[in-house]
Amino acid sequence: MGNWKHLVWDQREVLLSGIAVTAQVCAIAFAVAVVVGLLLCLLRMYARPLRPIVIVVIEFFRATPILVQLLWVAYVWPALFGWPNTFFAAAWLALAVQSSGYLAETFRGAIEAIPKGQREAAYSAGMSPVQVFWRIVLPQAALSASPSIVNQFTVIVKSSTLVSVITVPDLMYQSQKIVNIWYEPIEILTATAALYIVLVFAVSAAGKHVSDVLRRRYAITAA
Amino acid sequence: MSESLHQAFDLGLFWEYRKVLIAGLAVNFYVFAAAAVVALGIGLGAALLRVNRLPVFRWLGTLHVEIFRNAPEYIMVVWVHFVLPLLLGYLIRTRLEFNPFVSSVIGLGLVYSGYFAETFRAGIENIPIAHIEAGRSLGMSERAIFWRIVLPQVVRRMLPESVNQFISLFKATTIVSLIAVPDLMYDVTMITQQEMRPLPLYTGAALTYFVVILAASSVLRALSERWRAKIYA
Repeated sequence: MGNWKHLVWDQREVLLSGIAVTAQVCAIAFAVAVVVGLLLCLLRMYARPLRPIVIVVIEFFRATPILVQLLWVAYVWPALFGWPNTFFAAAWLALAVQSSGYLAETFRGAIEAIPKGQREAAYSAGMSPVQVFWRIVLPQAALSASPSIVNQFTVIVKSSTLVSVITVPDLMYQSQKIVNIWYEPIEILTATAALYIVLVFAVSAAGKHVSDVLRRRYAITAA
Repeated sequence: MSESLHQAFDLGLFWEYRKVLIAGLAVNFYVFAAAAVVALGIGLGAALLRVNRLPVFRWLGTLHVEIFRNAPEYIMVVWVHFVLPLLLGYLIRTRLEFNPFVSSVIGLGLVYSGYFAETFRAGIENIPIAHIEAGRSLGMSERAIFWRIVLPQVVRRMLPESVNQFISLFKATTIVSLIAVPDLMYDVTMITQQEMRPLPLYTGAALTYFVVILAASSVLRALSERWRAKIYA
């Protein structure tokens, strides 16, 4: 038990700072992914001339492994576009890039599932296309897509373990640093694995709760 | 900008190393195949626990699913590689070390067994109870009912979802490069360190995975649709 105190409990500040970095990376990545995902989805659905390019981009984001994307964004983008200039930015950008591809398809499925009659009713009530989208289509689509959106957030948290590879000091990075200092992997790696499992479990339970409450309150498109 | 753009898409360097890289991609496929077998086996076991009559077994099955579905692949692979051999070594009182390939197969297999368990369970619970009763009334043993009536239908029902999981598993095999399994990503990283030219190599790797995964997922999806259609017809 001495080892647990010495290697895990006494390192709690380092581990907590790692969790804070993990939380930051995931939160920024998720926010960016939702916005970019919605943008990609709209371009794909409504910007006809751009459609083939957008489809290729979405498929590329979805079909490349996250580690590959992370290294690609971290080492190729700065030379190509002059940005991201820090590994922290590269970390959230790579996570956001991948999730935006998935979210774009989630949004598209949700938007396409909205009955056509709703849109027609809104138009016949004199709403502009922008109003129809913001007031009729988007709220319902977001609601029916909310479980998948929550699920995507847990995917981001799981993938965020990889940002330690490009030396972003997240929980995984700190835990491996402790292993390299003491050469005692059992306690700290087990504790880290348990922390991640609890973290992901909590995030998905909380997200499920929020999306259930929202769906019950607004009680539309329960399917 | 144009200089680096040119360099990024000048995949000559990537082509020069094609032999090593193809060997690396083959390693990705080996890890994938072995981990898929482990994941399917353990996943089926966990699913059977979850539909067991005894609450203890159901509880164990749920625990398995919740742990491995919520565990990030990277930490699981690292944990299996660095911690599991030590723990097993204490048990049998010898020094044990896993080769990185074995660790990756076990780690990825465990994580995906959680996902497959849920897919199997959904498939099992979807079987009409009348099928099982009909088997019983014909005097089939419980084992014969499972292997000849339940499992074949479960496998067909879970095809579309398992295609997605196989694709995720294949993508996750890139992680094994981090514990020095010589897969495509590992080779790319090594060559980058020699040549100091990350642009063409990482771009090439990303494009290679993109093409392989897109092709594999389209083919698998088409095949699974056709197989289902044929069997239900």
